Amino acid sequence: MDSSVLYVVAPELILAIGAISLLMLGVFTSNGEAAGRTVTWLSIAVLIATAIAVFQGSGSSLVFGGAFVSDGFTRFLKIVILIGAALTLLMTFDNFGRAKLLQFEYPVLVLLATLGMLMMVSANDLIALYLGLELQSLALYVIAAFKRDDVQSSEAGLKYFVLGALSSGMLLYGASMLYGVTGSTSYATIAAAATIPEMSTNIGLTFGLVFVLVGLAFKVAAVPFHMWTPDVYQGAPTPVTAFFAGAPKIAAMALLLRFTQAALPGIAPQWQQIVIFLAIASMVLGSFAAIGQNNIKRLLAYSSIGNVGFALIGLAANNTEGTAGVLIYLVIYVAMTLGAFACVLAMQRNGRNVESISDLSGLAKTNLTFATILAVLMFSLAGIPPLAGFWAKWYVFLPAIKAGLYPLSVIGVVTSVVGAYYYLRVVKIMFFDETAEGFSPPEGRTFAVMALSAAFVVAFVLPFVGGTVVDAATAAASVLVPAHP
Amino acid sequence: MMDLTSQYLPIAIFIGVALFIGGALMVAPFLVAVRNPDPEKVSAYECGFNAFDDARMKFDVRFYLVSILFIIFDLEIAFLFPWAAAFREIGVFGFWSMMVFLGVLTIGFIYEWKKGALEWD
Amino acid sequence: MIYAAIVFLPLAGALIAGLFGRVIGDRPSEIITTAFLMIAAVLSWVVFVQVGLGHETREITLMRWITSGELDVSWALKIDTLTSVMLVVVTTVSSLVHLYSIGYMHEDDSRPRFFAYLSLFTFAMLMLVTSGNLVQMFFGWEGVGLASYLLIGFWYKKPEANAAAIKAFIVNRVGDFGFSLGVFGLFFVFHTVNLDALFAAAPSAVGKTFSFAGYEVDILTTLSLLLFVGAMGKSAQFLLHTWLPDAMEGPTPVSALIHAATMVTAGVFMVARLSPIFELAPNALIVVTFIGAITAFFAATVGLVQNDIKRVIAYSTCSQLGYMFVACGIGAYGVGIFHLFTHAFFKALLFLGAGSVIHAMHHEQDMRAMGGLRRKIPWTFAAMLIGTLALTGVGIPHLAGFAGFYSKDAIIEAAYAANTPNNYAFWLLVVAALMTSFYSWRLIFMTFYGETRADHHTFDHAHESPPTMMVPLAVLSLGAVLAGLVFAPYFMGHDQSEFWGASIFRGEHNHILHEMHEVPGWVPYSSLIAMLAGFAIAWVYYIGAPWLPEATARTFRPLYLFLLNKWYFDELYNLIFVRPAFAIGRFLWKGGDGAVIDGAIDGTAAGVVRVTDRVVKLQTGYMYHYAFAMLIGVAAILTWLTYNGLFGGVLK
Repeated sequence: MDSSVLYVVAPELILAIGAISLLMLGVFTSNGEAAGRTVTWLSIAVLIATAIAVFQGSGSSLVFGGAFVSDGFTRFLKIVILIGAALTLLMTFDNFGRAKLLQFEYPVLVLLATLGMLMMVSANDLIALYLGLELQSLALYVIAAFKRDDVQSSEAGLKYFVLGALSSGMLLYGASMLYGVTGSTSYATIAAAATIPEMSTNIGLTFGLVFVLVGLAFKVAAVPFHMWTPDVYQGAPTPVTAFFAGAPKIAAMALLLRFTQAALPGIAPQWQQIVIFLAIASMVLGSFAAIGQNNIKRLLAYSSIGNVGFALIGLAANNTEGTAGVLIYLVIYVAMTLGAFACVLAMQRNGRNVESISDLSGLAKTNLTFATILAVLMFSLAGIPPLAGFWAKWYVFLPAIKAGLYPLSVIGVVTSVVGAYYYLRVVKIMFFDETAEGFSPPEGRTFAVMALSAAFVVAFVLPFVGGTVVDAATAAASVLVPAHP
Repeated sequence: MMDLTSQYLPIAIFIGVALFIGGALMVAPFLVAVRNPDPEKVSAYECGFNAFDDARMKFDVRFYLVSILFIIFDLEIAFLFPWAAAFREIGVFGFWSMMVFLGVLTIGFIYEWKKGALEWD
Repeated sequence: MIYAAIVFLPLAGALIAGLFGRVIGDRPSEIITTAFLMIAAVLSWVVFVQVGLGHETREITLMRWITSGELDVSWALKIDTLTSVMLVVVTTVSSLVHLYSIGYMHEDDSRPRFFAYLSLFTFAMLMLVTSGNLVQMFFGWEGVGLASYLLIGFWYKKPEANAAAIKAFIVNRVGDFGFSLGVFGLFFVFHTVNLDALFAAAPSAVGKTFSFAGYEVDILTTLSLLLFVGAMGKSAQFLLHTWLPDAMEGPTPVSALIHAATMVTAGVFMVARLSPIFELAPNALIVVTFIGAITAFFAATVGLVQNDIKRVIAYSTCSQLGYMFVACGIGAYGVGIFHLFTHAFFKALLFLGAGSVIHAMHHEQDMRAMGGLRRKIPWTFAAMLIGTLALTGVGIPHLAGFAGFYSKDAIIEAAYAANTPNNYAFWLLVVAALMTSFYSWRLIFMTFYGETRADHHTFDHAHESPPTMMVPLAVLSLGAVLAGLVFAPYFMGHDQSEFWGASIFRGEHNHILHEMHEVPGWVPYSSLIAMLAGFAIAWVYYIGAPWLPEATARTFRPLYLFLLNKWYFDELYNLIFVRPAFAIGRFLWKGGDGAVIDGAIDGTAAGVVRVTDRVVKLQTGYMYHYAFAMLIGVAAILTWLTYNGLFGGVLK
């Protein structure tokens, strides 16, 4: 074995060794809370170190027999995932500290989940895909139920686990079918086999495709495989929900992008249909179901479902601009979501977190800064120009229109109008309704995430912010050229 | 398609035979056994004394913990067997791969030990 | 610079009074607007002397406005004799009305608003008369319409005032639609809206046709008629006249300024301004003459029986505008404009005089409740008398007379000379002159003579108006006496062609000004006789035998009612246009808007809520439901793909 392999997988190695070391460090520290605090900080450091290691990489390399790939595309997404994970860890201190949940296992589990995500992003083989996915999922199942003595949290963990196991089963079933039809688990071999004309109508290939896509759709919470999302988002502790809404979706999206475009370009018309169906269903349900929600975490859960639908539009376009659109969308989505969850974390009164939308009533009068930041994020989520959310949609709609997907684009626009209603309703409640009791001032680190997110959303229109992101995403997407048959 | 089916034919036959025998043994008592129930016969059996309470009692969750921990090491052994059998072919890479695997498992073992998961009380 | 000052001083006044009126107070607003207008008036007379008598014409481009394809429009001031005459009329009357309003409106709460509107109106009117292209003219045209609407509805708490304002606006829309169609048509044919370029290009289109509304029609006739529809609306000509009497709901100074001297004459001005086009469309001119003559006659008949002092004058205005159109229609544009000029003085005088009477009588407008005011308000009486003498055209042929004598009699003579079929124009105008005389003297007799019919309290407290109101009356009286005598030679005498210069065009076969001096000797006396007959009848009816009007009304009751109800035009329009419009509106409102649009929107909103409820209900919280949903999803996708694969791509 060539030792240069280690350079390619250096980020993953750092993360793995870091996670294991921190586990040992935590378990051998007697003071529980101090251990939690220290390990969390060190975990952030590990994530940063990993990010630096990712930055060091260059070029494209395939290792482990082609099962693991590292190129511009993976580096872009890994950076976003690592930043997302680090920021969510930053937001846990206050909330977990008050809930007596500041234990060292949590950051270690986040690290392990992140490791799984990095492997998902780099997966170029069905087995690597499954390994990464399961490593991520198992860690997530645990942290969903991290508040063990809370019924809702346990329920969330259990639901997530059982349904996740079902989806994993489906994914494995699909993967085995693909293996059965093509004789290989490697994307490249599958792609080569699937390109043969008579394979395009092979029922085994179609079934394999459907089941794998369904498994991945579950992970990104696309309708109709989204049912777990609202319950888990609401039940899990808020910092965990914030983590769920961000990094794992990027990883699963990356998996979808690479799987569809690298493994199955030969039957693009078939998976495009599935993706279009998922996109439409997600956008419609995401925007309509959110209207009736009173709990802000549940609202954000439906919002994330809708957002996945929008991101899938870029995938449905099946071209480089579409891929770039998905990447841009993910970056902006993560920024907005983290900010929104930071705001949810900051919604606390007398040392207790509140989650009802009506608790935001008249916030503008008691805490204008808070209200303004949340309003900016809501406007952005609603897609009001010139905020980032508008550009996110812009960059996925444009390739879709170029690809001739007019009905999809029209439905996208219509549902984003419907969606605007509930985002703007939050703004209306904050600025025009009766003043409720004010919140305690936000904790510094949480506030930093809120402010950072809002600043990004506002500044995205500036060339050196938005332009940088767009250029990087376009460069990353160009690596993943769909090999048209 | 045809040869695929024929390859699986023995298994199919085996499953069929197993189903038949199992089914026959389950159905036979209903048909041939003498049934003459009385309270003593249908009550739960405990050796030497009358049953204290329902037989379907809750087990201590620690039983599950132990069994899960056991399964982990069980699987470890299951991996070790093929590894040992193919040891000559897989060389140094194979050796170190298993060492890493064992190392990770050991880390987990240390964690659960340190956490007190192995202690009954 | 001086030209720009004339046009923009009123705008400045309007902005100051309108935007800062509350800040600077009532009195300063009045003073500023009035002073600005006075300056503009003085400058206008300077320009009049320079341009009209000194024969300078110029075109000043202020700035570019629209450049789009072939459409090239600038803000420009076109100053020639016609413009200078209009400038003088507009600014003079406007400044006097401003001054008068200080006294007349002194009890009103929102005087800054009133003065802002007045000045705004003046600005729009000046924009209209100075424009060098049709688009800018249309801007002014609409601007005066807007200001008129605002001023008629100035007392917006009165429902009648609001109704009248809306009526004026809507009837004017009809005319404006024609005008704008005419402008579009001119641009369509000639690819320009600049007047000079149009005039240069117009002769090339003589006799040519184009397709309009599905018919092949003569270009110039059609476009001239469309433009004339605009003039009819603005100048309250027959069929589109109904708004003018109702507009009397506005304050009296407004009536004097807008509905006597300036805005209503915009139509006449426009026809004169576009004389190079109208001259090339003889058939259109026949229509202009006909409509003018009918209006002159019709409005005079209605004026005979009205009892509201302002309405009498309003119908009189309508009638006199008819005279002006007759003059234009027969090619005597200069005469028409001269009548416009003199009419501005004496009609403004009559309105302001009527305002003074109303002021004295505590806002009583019904002449049946007046009478005997001669001794109570002698100066007002004198002014009204002068106005009446000027309006009825008192004078001795070939010698001298009041202002109306020169202009109106000239129109009558020209109408004879124009040789219309059966001389209908001439006879209609003569009869109208008789009736004019009758109703004018009727107004004087009913208001100022005889025993008073007012209640004692009002009559005892009747008093002469303050100086701010009397000074304008005096100035206008001077104009009513002298305007004809002084300016007749320039406007239509031997200096006329030099005076008008290039501002009015006459075709080579148009010798009307020459012919009108060659009419038979009895013709100039016909109007004198008509005037005297009218006076005599009025004297008999209202001084000699006061029982006679009622007896006549009883005897000829259908005719009386016919006239009293203004030929039933309002009722007719109500039946033909207003009710169907309301019906359509109500249908669209209840049926279209309420049921279809609101229904669709509310239905959508309700639908969203219903969908949301359903979707939320799907979220039961039971894991097996969730798993079931996932399996259904898988099955659906598989089924779709399988069948789609079998039947070939449906989606793609």
